[in-house]
Amino acid sequence: MSAILSIENLSKNYGAVKALQNVSFTVPAQTVFGILGPNGSGKTTLLGIVMDVLKATSGSYSWQGEQSTAAVRKKIGTLLETPNFYHYLSAADNLKIAAKIKGKGEEDIDNVLKTVNLYERKSSKFNTYSLGMKQRLAIASALLGDPEILVFDEPTNGLDPAGIAEIRELIKELNRKGKTIIMASHILDEVEKVCTHVAIIQKGVLKTVGSVKDVMNTSGSTEAVTTVLVELSAADNDSLKNVLQQMNGVEEIITVDHHLQITCRENITAEAVNKFCFENGIVLNQLNEKRKSLETRFLEITGKQSDR
Amino acid sequence: MLNLFKIEWLKIRTYRTFWLLYLSYMVFTPLFIIFVAYKFMSTKYSNFEEMTLKALAGSPFVFPKVWHATTYFSGLFFIVFAMLFILLITNEVQYRTHRQNIIDGWSRMDFIKAKFTLLIFFVISAAVITLITTLIIGFTYSPSGADVVGGLKYFGYFVLMSTVYLMVAFLVAILVKRTGLSIIIYFVLVVILDNLLWLGLTFKKSQIGYFLPLETVDSLVPNPFKPAVFESRTVTDMALMISAAVYLAIYVYIIARYFRKTDLKT
Repeated sequence: MSAILSIENLSKNYGAVKALQNVSFTVPAQTVFGILGPNGSGKTTLLGIVMDVLKATSGSYSWQGEQSTAAVRKKIGTLLETPNFYHYLSAADNLKIAAKIKGKGEEDIDNVLKTVNLYERKSSKFNTYSLGMKQRLAIASALLGDPEILVFDEPTNGLDPAGIAEIRELIKELNRKGKTIIMASHILDEVEKVCTHVAIIQKGVLKTVGSVKDVMNTSGSTEAVTTVLVELSAADNDSLKNVLQQMNGVEEIITVDHHLQITCRENITAEAVNKFCFENGIVLNQLNEKRKSLETRFLEITGKQSDR
Repeated sequence: MLNLFKIEWLKIRTYRTFWLLYLSYMVFTPLFIIFVAYKFMSTKYSNFEEMTLKALAGSPFVFPKVWHATTYFSGLFFIVFAMLFILLITNEVQYRTHRQNIIDGWSRMDFIKAKFTLLIFFVISAAVITLITTLIIGFTYSPSGADVVGGLKYFGYFVLMSTVYLMVAFLVAILVKRTGLSIIIYFVLVVILDNLLWLGLTFKKSQIGYFLPLETVDSLVPNPFKPAVFESRTVTDMALMISAAVYLAIYVYIIARYFRKTDLKT
């Protein structure tokens, strides 16, 4: 897979505040790439730099191997931080300006407004819009000209639950069509549901990066050994426990309610556990390999204090 | 450049504040000048003092002198366009649309060039309305055979003056960013600071004051009613024009350099 966006050693200081410190990663093509971090972790700063509205203190980046020129940005649909529109113009007029800057025709405008359910309000002035409508207009603007790359900074900000579900579905749909989406979010659930890849940023430092599956299942960069959680039970949980204690790779056994939860090394699979128990005369009535949730990983990586 | 202007036009064509300020200059300026000309030309002077004053001033509303009078008055109201120009630039910062324009695919210089096309639009608008006013007054009051194009240099000075005034507004708006503060600072620069410094620097017939950023173009179109004997300027018009050109170059350089390197924030 070719790289859509490559970031190398990007740093940004605001006076004494280090908003980004030596961040490097690559966004592969046709992924939904989540940039996850607590509020103020540097997500928007990072996206601002790659869209050339902020200047990096040091480091570099390239879009599909090219420096970020105006021509490159014309081919990217972006929603950065807040919806930015001319308050006194209608939605349609605002999109006309965006389309003209992108060098695209106006024929797309009605379509993108329909996609975000704003078509009926296209002649209303922007300052009459609600927060959610403004956000949807910004997403419509990003969709103009059907770009291959989309950058969304907190795309579901200000939307109601139905709107959130719609936008998440839209993002998945865009990805199915082969588009690459880079999305910043502080909502773990959102990243877990929508993204294929994730970079976790905290206080301007990149903590881990990779596919969502890898980040959740492996230890990333902070732990040496990876673990797998398996939940299981049998008719007699005490004998099951005795058997499991003899199995190589099982590190911890905890009794939880009516089942056991074991922590195993990475190479242990549910299948292997099942086989081992059966060979030792125990028939399991429950076996469930639990992937760690991104939330667990996120807290492991960033620490549990809210002061992150 | 034309394409950039078309986009700027999309931004303002349904903006009520724009039309309010734009039309107030475009309508009020010619009406005011025509009214002054009418009053002046139709007054019968009874006493000696007034006669002398009129004789000293010449007849300011006939060709070729009418060029000087119209451009001077038009210049007095031009601050309306300067404030409108500041508003249109600082609006972009307030709405963060300057960021959005760049994100959507303008280079930072495209943004500056787009605003420059707006500057040209204002200069041309003011020039056209001043030209029309001049021709109306000139042809109404001039005797046949008057030198119609004799005062044309004042028209050129007016174009230079309006360009300089707008460029200073451009610089203030880009650096200050806030609408209200920018307009206040511009007003203080243009109305108070420049004039105070001029008074101080032209004291005892020193010529340095004529090279102040705005005075250099103000002096090209002085008050037409001020009798020539009170004029203490000895530097040539050419020297003032060169000085204006140097100022323009400096402003363009600072604006471009600043806007290329800065973080675009509110």
